[in-house]
Amino acid sequence: MDGNPTPAGIRNIDRAVEFPRPAGAELAGRTEWTDEALMLAILERDQHAFAVLYDRYVDLVYSAAYRILGDAGLAEDTVQDVFVRLWRRPETFIAERGRFISWLMSVTRHRALDELRARGRRWKREGGPLGDPVESAEPVFHPGDPDPSASAELAEERAAVRRALESLPADQRRALELAYFGGLTQQEIAAYLHEPLGTIKTRIRLGMQKLRRGLERHR
Amino acid sequence: MLGEHLTQEQADEYAIGSLEPELERAIALHLAECPACRDIVRDAERLAALLAVSQPVRRASPRLRQRVLTAAGIRKPGPAWRAFTIGRAAAGLAAIIVAAGAFSGMLGLRTQVNALRSQNADLQRQIDEALSQKVALAALTQKLEDQEAVAAELRETLKSDSELFIALISPSSQVAAVVSVDPSRGSIGRLVWDDDQKRVWFVASQLRQLPPGETYQLWVNSGGRYYSLGTFAPDDAGFARYETRLPEGITSYDTAVVTIERAGGSPTREGPAVFFVTDLSRLTRN
Ligand SMILES: [Zn+2]
Repeated sequence: MDGNPTPAGIRNIDRAVEFPRPAGAELAGRTEWTDEALMLAILERDQHAFAVLYDRYVDLVYSAAYRILGDAGLAEDTVQDVFVRLWRRPETFIAERGRFISWLMSVTRHRALDELRARGRRWKREGGPLGDPVESAEPVFHPGDPDPSASAELAEERAAVRRALESLPADQRRALELAYFGGLTQQEIAAYLHEPLGTIKTRIRLGMQKLRRGLERHR
Repeated sequence: MLGEHLTQEQADEYAIGSLEPELERAIALHLAECPACRDIVRDAERLAALLAVSQPVRRASPRLRQRVLTAAGIRKPGPAWRAFTIGRAAAGLAAIIVAAGAFSGMLGLRTQVNALRSQNADLQRQIDEALSQKVALAALTQKLEDQEAVAAELRETLKSDSELFIALISPSSQVAAVVSVDPSRGSIGRLVWDDDQKRVWFVASQLRQLPPGETYQLWVNSGGRYYSLGTFAPDDAGFARYETRLPEGITSYDTAVVTIERAGGSPTREGPAVFFVTDLSRLTRN
């Protein structure tokens, strides 16, 4: 454990590192670990680390996938794809070097949008990506509920962005959501809403600015 | 398509996925080689991720857990996995009970993380070293080139010296003293006339610097006529070493003088003589 590491960089983890696994304490100990520490352990095929990460983020991944696909079954398929990929190819996260949540959400979004496009559902679904999520009849847990997962820091940041999002003018919020959850480019949004492209660009710019300011105020 | 660094607006549009595919590709290419823009985009992607997780939260089905596990190829999750499904409260209690054991796990991980950090530091240091060695090598190469130039100059001088030496000891050479017209200064150099090599050397010291527009010019008198051997200038120390071929058709000289002429030299002797030549060989041969 404390021996001199061979200077082969991060790939070295694959074979040389052994994480101690005290019997019975695996999950309880790992729940305190950061996302990044858990990913390091997953690189070393630590199943318990995978379980902790799954429990920490499954609801968020599922919710984002549902927001895009508007369908419980498809959202579950996306959750499965995302986490299986996370287990099989954890090094793709290490290589990308961003924050874990950014990577996880990016993978989730792309996976769900692929599914959406494959099924040609973009324009057809009632209550899908282009609908308003709060109008859905399915049970929804709002941020006021006890946060089921993740760190206190992430919970605070989510709350800050949520507040900023709620205070956005409806058209700015809609532009952001059509881009991110609808997978539409600015030109597609402009066509969909029958608005000039410049108007859509401005809405997205202002929307992102306000979200950023809301997050900064929280910090 | 993307000539410069990304604006905040472009980074935001990239992160939220609202760009047209061509621009998105151009930005991805730029990001591959621009750490500064990667930092901006990383922040924007964090914001986009927060947008994603700020949506109303839905609970995933508990059945989904086993399904994902199986799909991932994790067949035997072990008792701890099942124990954890009992509930978060129980897990929290377990966390307190086994804190000591867990701590050793964290310690191991920290050791690994620190080891990786120090590996990175080592690698950075090796790169720095390699770079500084490269710089040192370039300096050394330059020095070597400089020294080669000096060596070439020295070789040239050595060749010239050896030729002068051969002329000095040659029985067919005439060696004359160069004497100042100012009687208090006496001999300041030599004129070596070598019939074999068909060359003449003028070597003198204690020459004063001339003002711009003037030059020293060397003349030989043969058969009552002055022939120019060319102009020369002393170095900063007042030393001059001038060599040239014998003028065509002349095999000996009677006298030689150095005059001060206008810059570039005169076709015929005009200026005042400052040095004259006394033929030493005539003295020594006697
Ligand atoms: Zn750049």
